[in-house]
Amino acid sequence: MRTLQLSLAWLLPWTFAVPAVGLAENPAYLQLEGANLAQGRTIWLGTCEGCHGYGTAGAPIPMEKDDWKDRLKKPQSLLYQHAIEGFYGPDDTMMPARGGNTKLSDADVKAAVDYMTALAKHYQQFSAKP
Amino acid sequence: MQITLNKKWLALGVAAALTTTATFVVAVEDAANKPMIAPKTMADALHLVMDSDRTVYTRKIVNRLAAKEKVITASEHFDDEKALVLPAQMFRFGAEMVAKRAEKLPDVNFSYSLQSLWPVNTQNAPKTDAEKAGLKFVAENKGKNFYTTEELGGTNYFTAIYADTAVAPVCVSCHNDHKDSPRRDFKLGDVMGGVVIRIPLES
Ligand code: HEC
Ligand code: HEC
Repeated sequence: MRTLQLSLAWLLPWTFAVPAVGLAENPAYLQLEGANLAQGRTIWLGTCEGCHGYGTAGAPIPMEKDDWKDRLKKPQSLLYQHAIEGFYGPDDTMMPARGGNTKLSDADVKAAVDYMTALAKHYQQFSAKP
Repeated sequence: MQITLNKKWLALGVAAALTTTATFVVAVEDAANKPMIAPKTMADALHLVMDSDRTVYTRKIVNRLAAKEKVITASEHFDDEKALVLPAQMFRFGAEMVAKRAEKLPDVNFSYSLQSLWPVNTQNAPKTDAEKAGLKFVAENKGKNFYTTEELGGTNYFTAIYADTAVAPVCVSCHNDHKDSPRRDFKLGDVMGGVVIRIPLES
C-alpha cells in the first residue's frame, strides 16, 4: 500500500505536466527552420496529423517515401488548391477541404502544406525508420 | 499398343488407389481441422476484411456517388430519403446478420460490434471492463490495437479492439450535431470509437 501511494504521488505532477507540454513539443515530428514552417507545424499537428500521421482514410504520410514521391512533382500552388478546396484521389479517397477545419484561413492551410511538403522532402532523403 | 493386365495386379492396383484416395481425404480433413490459427491472427484477419470492405464502400460508393458526383445522398434515414446507408450502418447491419447466421453454425463462434465511449446510441456503449479499457486505449494511442482476454459467464474470451476513426467531414458533423450524441467536439482524424471482436478460447 505504501509503495502504491508513493508511486501515485510520483505520477500526479506528470498528469498535469503532459497536457502542458502539448503539441508543440511532440517529438514524433521534426521541427523545421523558419517562422512559416513553425506555424505550419502547429497547424499541421492540430488539423492534419490525425489523418496524415497515420494514413487514415488513405492520406499520404510524409514519412513514407513512396506516398509523396510523385506528389512532390506537383506544383506547390496545386497542392495548396487541393488542400484548401478539397480533392478526390484517383482511388476515390477524399482529402476534405481545409482538413475539415473551417476555421483555418488560406494562409494557415498553405503553411501546413509547406510544413508537410518540407517534411516529405526530408524523408525522400532520410528514411524514417532507423 | 496392347495392354495386358493380370487380374491379380489389377485388383491390387485398385485397392492401392482406393487407400491412397482415402488417406488423401483424411489428410485433407485433418489439415482443415488442425487447430493452428492463433486467436489474435484470426481477429486481425477478420478486422482486415471488415475494414477493407467498409473502406471500399466509403470510397467507391459514398465518396464517389454521394460526395463527388452528387447523384445520390447517404443518410441515417435511408428508407424515407431513398438514400444510401451510412458506412457505420452498413457495418452494423453486417454484424447483425453475422450474429444471426452464426446461430446455425455451431463451429463459427465469434462476435463483433461497433462501440464508443461517446455513443449516439447507448446500446453501443462498452459493457465489459475490457471493452472500456480497450476503447480508451485505442482513443489515446493512435495507430495501435488493443488485445486482451476476459472471462464472461464462465467462458474465456480473446477480445481485440481496433480504432474507428473520423475519415470524412460527415462523420464529425453528424455525430457532433446529433441530438443524442454525448460528445460534440470531434474533429477529422479523431478516434470516435472502436470495433470489438470477441473469440471464445477453449479451455
Ligand atoms: C480526413 C483525413 C484528412 C485530413 C484531416 C487531412 N487530409 Fe490531406 N489528404 C487526405 C487524403 C485521403 C489525401 C489523398 C488524396 C489522394 O488520394 O490523392 C490527402 C492529400 C493531401 C494533399 C496532397 C494533394 C495532392 O494533390 O496530391 C495535401 C497537400 C494535403 N492532403 C494537405 C492537407 C492539409 C494541409 C491538412 C490539414 C489542414 C490535411 N491535408 C488534412 C486526407 C486528409
Ligand atoms: C448522418 C449521420 C452519421 C454519419 C455521417 C456517421 N454516423 Fe456514426 N452513427 C450515427 C448514428 C445515428 C449512430 C448510432 C447507430 C445505431 O443506432 O447503432 C452511429 C454510430 C456510430 C458508432 C458507434 C457508437 C455510437 O455512436 O453509437 C461509431 C463508432 C460511429 N458511428 C462512427 C462513425 C464514423 C467513423 C463515421 C464516418 C465514417 C460515422 N460514424 C458517420 C450517425 C452517423
